[in-house]
Parts: sequence; C-alpha cells; structure tokens
Amino acid sequence: MKPVATTRTAAGIQTGRLAVWWLLASEIVIFGGLLVSYIMHRLAHPEWADYASHTNTWIGTVNTLVLLSSSLSAVLAHHAAEQGDGKKAAKLLLATIGGAVAFLVIKSFEWTHEIHEGFTITANGFWAFYYVAAGIHASHVIVGAILMGWVAWQANQNRELQRVELVGIYWHFVDVVWIFLFPLLYIAK
Amino acid sequence: MSEHAASHGTEAEHGHEEGHAHHGPKDYIRIWLVLVVLLAVSVAGPFLEIKVITLLTAFGIAVVKAFLVCKHFMHLDVQPKYVLYFLGTALAFMLLFFFGVAPDVMNHEGQNWTNMAAQEEIERALIAQGHGPALEPGAFDAATTFANTCGPCHGTGGAGDGPAAAALEPHPANFTDPAFWADPTRDHEHIVATITNGGASVGRSALMAAFGGQFDAEQIEALAAHVESLNPNHE
Repeated sequence: MKPVATTRTAAGIQTGRLAVWWLLASEIVIFGGLLVSYIMHRLAHPEWADYASHTNTWIGTVNTLVLLSSSLSAVLAHHAAEQGDGKKAAKLLLATIGGAVAFLVIKSFEWTHEIHEGFTITANGFWAFYYVAAGIHASHVIVGAILMGWVAWQANQNRELQRVELVGIYWHFVDVVWIFLFPLLYIAK
Repeated sequence: MSEHAASHGTEAEHGHEEGHAHHGPKDYIRIWLVLVVLLAVSVAGPFLEIKVITLLTAFGIAVVKAFLVCKHFMHLDVQPKYVLYFLGTALAFMLLFFFGVAPDVMNHEGQNWTNMAAQEEIERALIAQGHGPALEPGAFDAATTFANTCGPCHGTGGAGDGPAAAALEPHPANFTDPAFWADPTRDHEHIVATITNGGASVGRSALMAAFGGQFDAEQIEALAAHVESLNPNHE
C-alpha cells in the first residue's frame, strides 16, 4: 500500500507536496526571524560595517553560483521524473548533491580561514549572527543532501518519483534563503 | 514508466500539470542563465561605490532572483491559491516580529530607558576601529585607555570587578570604594608611581604590572587623574 501522502488529493494538491509547503512556511518564520534580527542590529550598530568588510565576497559569489546551479539540476530532475525517467532523475539529483557537497567544502575552507583570523562566533555580534545564520543554512544543506540521496536511490529504481519534486521544492527554498543571506553578509558592506 | 510514475501524473491537479506544459529543460537553463547574470550584476554593483546602487543591486536583485526561483523552479505560481496565502501569512508574521521588536532593538535610548550596553559597545568599537566620534586620530583618551588596558582586572568602571578579578589574589583595587582612598599614602604621586613602576615598587601587589614602558609621563598623569576621578569623594 502506498503512503497516503502520495495518493490523497483531498485539498486539491498532492498531500505530500502540501506538507512540504507547510514545512517551508515554518522555515520562513525561522530564517525570516533570524534575518530581520540581523537587519535590525546591522542598522543600529554602525561599527558592524567594519566587521562585515572582512567577509570574502568572492567565496560568497562562488557559493551562490554553486547553489543556483544545484537548483537547476534539481528542477531538471523534477522534469525527468515527470517524464517517468527515474534513472535520469536520480543522476540529476546526484549532481545536485554534488553541488551541496561543493557548497559545504567551500564553506568549511572559508570558516577555517576566518576562525584563524580571529573572527570567531564570540568575536562580536556580527560574527555571532554570521555563524548562526550561515550555520543553520548549512545544516539545511546537509539535511537536503541526505534526503536527496534517499530520493535518488528510490528514483533510480523508478519508485516514488513524486518525491523528486518534493525534495526539489525544499532545495529551491534553501537556495532562496542563501539568495538573501548573500547580499546581507557579503555585499552590503 | 512505472506505475508510481504514472500515478504521479494522474494524481497531480490539472493546473499544476498545465503550468509545466510550457517549461522544458531549455526554459530552465534559460532561467538559470538569467539568475547567473543577475548574480554578476549584484556583485558588480558595489564597484561603482554608490551606496544607493549597491543596496539596489544587492537587495533588489535578491528579490528578483528569489521571485524567479519561486515561480519557475518551485512552480509556486501553479499551486492552489491557499498555499500562497499561508506562506504569505508566515511572511506577515516575520514582518510583525520586525516592526514589533525593531523600535526597542534599533533605538538605544527611550523616554525612560537607555541601552547602555549597546551604546558603550558602539563607542568602544568605533574608537577601536579608529573612527571614534570625539577623538582625533592618535589622541589619548584616559577613560578609554583605562577601560581597555586596566579594565580586564580593575573593571571598565574601576570597581575592581574586571573579568580577571576573581582569579587574582589579592583582588585588584576598587577605585570607587571610599575605603581605598581613606589610606593617606594613596596620593597622586603614589598612583603615578604605581602605574609607572608596578605595584611591587610601592610595596603593593606585584600582580599590578608596570606601564611606564607603554605610556609616556603625560599619559600616565592623565590615567592617574582618571583613577582619582573614580573616588566618590573626589572634588
């Protein structure tokens, strides 16, 4: 028997997809609260401009490009799944996981460098926000990569292809959060 | 096509499927290219060094990029309307939080309150960054120097309660305590000598280091005057 999330459409939408949207509504509050808190402090603390000038715009740019590209492979995986091509969907999801891993590797180099420079989470309010916001985001990247691995494994056997879209929606959201983190932490200096 | 894949197609609501009809891999790649170009513009913006343009290219483009991802990659536009409503409600709560809290967080002074911690941190940090409000570059400010150099032991306010105080025996002097100043040997020369040559030179705790090598005589005079000004009975 298939899970109810894939068979019921009582709300005019596949229940699994509805659940993902609800999840994202809660994520909006989590990341939104974090980002507006950052904005409040950034505007109220003129000394943060100097702290922010130490973030590396180029690393941030490369990571943005990585995430945007991983979103492309995620939506292409969704397209392949719609065509019933589970194997292709699985391959494209693997490419997306590759993007997630690349993002995390780049981030770990970036953080290592910053911590060596003395910009630790306890250095001041700016760096505390920097590590907390990017850290919560990175944890979402890790969770997304694990989920995509599972979905890709199923898709490769042409099972539960609807999940390719569901995990994709989540992944695009992670991308959107980074789209806002990028100017806040790397561009507005 | 497996039965699962087939059921996926038939289960999805019509609007959703129609929404996909005009999206093929080429469309997705085109949208990705637009996103990459927008990213390049947002990175190039600050090079013009015009604040308005930086903010516009940074945040204006972020909104456009987010819109493109939501519409074309997440297919938010072909979901039932109520999905938009509850996502919008979550966004509205975020704004409610911002406007509810911002007046307190962003102001450091109200009618009946002052956020001294925030004010002191801003002042301290700006001075440390070399663009303090009241000071000429390189000017010596006894109160700031006291807070930075003496503060770790004596406390920024001189009450002998700095972060390191608890670990020191004897405890660092509390300059705000009248009892400290009751000792008649603690005159101006004594304070100057203690700062210059350290505690041991005047028969006090050797934990009080000598600062004669770090500051010139004039600066030590100013530091001593600041220490004396902490005496509650100071004239």
